[in-house]
Amino acid sequence: MNVKANVGATGAYSDAEILAMIDEKNGKFDPKIYVDESLYRLELERIFARTWVCMGHESHIPNSGDFTTAYIGEDPVVVVRQKDASIRVFLNQCQHRGMRICRADSGNAKAFTCTYHGWAYNQGGDLVSAPMEKEAFGGCLNKAEWGPKQARVETYKGLIFANWDADAPGLDEYLGDVKFYMDIMLDRCEAGTEAIPGIQKWVIPCNWKFAAEQFASDAYHAGTTSHLSGIMAGVPEDVDITQVAPPTDGLNVHMENGHGCGLFLRNPMFYMTIVGPKVTEYLTTGPAYEEAVRRLGQGRADVNLCHTNVFPNLSFLAGINTVRMWQPRGPNEIEVWTFTLVDKTAPQEIKDEWRRHTSRTFSAGGVFEQDDGENWCDIQQVLQGHVAQNQKFNIEMGSHTVTADNPEGFPGLSFAYTYSEESARGLYRYWTQIMTAPDWDAIRRIDQRPLAAE
Amino acid sequence: MLDDTFKAAFESKPKAVSLELQHEVEQFLYWESKLLTDRRYKEWFGLLAEDLHYWMPIRSTKIMREVAQEYTDEQGFAHFDDNWYTMKGRIRKIMSDVGWSENPASRVRYLIGNVMVVPENENTINVVSASMVYRTRQERQLDVFACERRDVLRRVETEAGFEIVRRTILIDQSTILSNNLSFFF
Ligand code: FES
Ligand SMILES: [Fe+2]
Repeated sequence: MNVKANVGATGAYSDAEILAMIDEKNGKFDPKIYVDESLYRLELERIFARTWVCMGHESHIPNSGDFTTAYIGEDPVVVVRQKDASIRVFLNQCQHRGMRICRADSGNAKAFTCTYHGWAYNQGGDLVSAPMEKEAFGGCLNKAEWGPKQARVETYKGLIFANWDADAPGLDEYLGDVKFYMDIMLDRCEAGTEAIPGIQKWVIPCNWKFAAEQFASDAYHAGTTSHLSGIMAGVPEDVDITQVAPPTDGLNVHMENGHGCGLFLRNPMFYMTIVGPKVTEYLTTGPAYEEAVRRLGQGRADVNLCHTNVFPNLSFLAGINTVRMWQPRGPNEIEVWTFTLVDKTAPQEIKDEWRRHTSRTFSAGGVFEQDDGENWCDIQQVLQGHVAQNQKFNIEMGSHTVTADNPEGFPGLSFAYTYSEESARGLYRYWTQIMTAPDWDAIRRIDQRPLAAE
Repeated sequence: MLDDTFKAAFESKPKAVSLELQHEVEQFLYWESKLLTDRRYKEWFGLLAEDLHYWMPIRSTKIMREVAQEYTDEQGFAHFDDNWYTMKGRIRKIMSDVGWSENPASRVRYLIGNVMVVPENENTINVVSASMVYRTRQERQLDVFACERRDVLRRVETEAGFEIVRRTILIDQSTILSNNLSFFF
C-alpha cells in the first residue's frame, strides 16, 4: 500500500462549500471529495449510517444459524439467518467493553459468546446471559437494554440490505427506479438467482466513489483504453481485435436517490469477450432468453450488460452478474467484496462457466478489473499533492445529449448517450445534497430534478 | 473436497524420493519461476499442459470447529479458476502494450522452498512447495504473498522435462492485501 494518510486535508466545510463542490453548469467538480478526511467522516455519518447498504445474498446464509460478517461503512455487523427464516443484522460490538462479538467471516452458530468476559448472545444478537450475573451484577443487569445495536433489515429479490436509520424510507421506496435495472440480473427466471459460494475480498488504495461512479456511469473507460487488454484476453486468437467494435448503442441513466446505471443494447459480442460463448448463448437465445423476454419485456431482455451502482456502494454488472460492495476504509482505501450470481435454474454447465468467467474477468486477478485497480490507485496517489487537490476535474461529457424522455421507455430522471457522465453528475449532486441534509426529513425534501434536463 | 490425492499422499511423511528426482523437480520449479521473473511469458506458457487447471481458491476466516471449510471448494468462487485456453488469453493480455496493470511491468520474485515430491507413477508426479512471492511496482508499491502450491507434473520429452497439469495455489491471505493479482503464482 503506497498511499499515506491525507495529512494535508483541511478542516470541516460549510454546507455552501460542499454544495459548490459540483458545478454542473460548467461541468466541473472538486477532487477534494476523494481525499478529505473530514468529508470522509461526514460520509460515514450522513451516507452510510442513513442509507440502505447491501449485506450480501440470501443464499449465503440459507439455514437457521448461518451467519456472515459484513460492514455498513466502517461499522462491522453480523448478518444471521433466524429460526423463522428472517434475517437479523446487528453491530458486531459487545456493549460491555466493545469487543467484536463474532470473529469469523462466516459459519453456522447456535449462539455468540464474547471472548473478552463471556457475555452471551443468541442468534438474533439478544444478550441472554453474563457470567456470574447474580454475584457480579446483583441481579440487576438489564439484558434487554444491553444487546448490540440492531439494524433494520429488508431484502430485494435475494439481496439483503440493512439500514441504521429508523426514519429512512423502506427499501422498496429507497431503491425506486433502480429496481427496474436490478431485475435484469435478479429476475430473468421464475426461481431468481443464487450466489456462487465464496466472497472475494481485496484492497485498493483509492476512494470508494471512484468505484461507485465508474459502475454508475463510466462506459467511456470500457469503450476506450482501460479494458483493451481485457477484451484481448477473451477474444479468440483468430479474431482481429480491431474487428471488435466498442458498443455504441445504449444509455446512461441517472436515477433518484443517487442511483445510476449505463447499459448497452443489442450487442451480444461484448458479452462474448467477458462471459464466453456458452453463457452468451444462454443469455441471448433459447428458453432462458425467452423466459427473460416474458418476464422483463423485449427491451430489457436485449440489454447486453447493464453497469449499475445502487447508492452508496453496491455495484453490479447485469449479465456478467458480478456483484460488489465497495467497503470504505478511510478516504484513501477500499476493500472490494465481490461475489457472482447465477440464475438458479440455469444448467450446471452454465453456472460453472459463469463462475469461471467472472473470476477470470471481474476479480482481483480479473483481466478487466486488474486495470481498474491500477488506474484508481494512481489517481488517489496523485491527489495527495496540494496543487493536485486544488484542481477541478472535468465532468461535462454528454451534457448536450441529456433528455428527460427515454427513447426505450425505461425509468429514470434523466438519460443520455452511452458515453456520457449524466449519471455521474447525478451521483455527485446527490452526494452534496445528502451530505448537507441533517436528517431524513431534509433528505426527503432534496430537489432531485436533473439540472441539464430542466 | 480439496485435492484428495494430495491429502492422501501427505497423511503421513512421504517416502523420500531419489536425490535425482528431487533435484530434477526442484530445477524445473526454479526454471519456471525464473521465466516468470524474467517476463518470458510465452516460454512459461509453454510449460502448461493443454488439460491444465490453474486454481486459487478463496480463503476465509473460520472458527476452529469449521476450519475444514476455510477454502472455497471447486464449485465455489476462486481468485483463479483457469484452463489452458483462458491462460492463453492472460498471456495475450500481459504481453500486449495496453495491459496497464503490467505496463509498466511489476518486478516479481519467487522464493520456492519446502519442496516435497510424491510420484504417482513414472509419468505423473505430485509436488508440494511453498512459495514466497515478492512484488514491487511503480514508485513504491510492495506486495508480499506466501502460498502453498500443489502441482501435478507430467513428464514430457521437452527440454524442461515436465509440464504442469494442475496447479492449486493455497494463498495465506484471506483479504488480498493488494490492488490486483496481475501476475502468476
Ligand atoms: S467486552 Fe464483551 S463481555 Fe466484556
Ligand atoms: Fe472497469
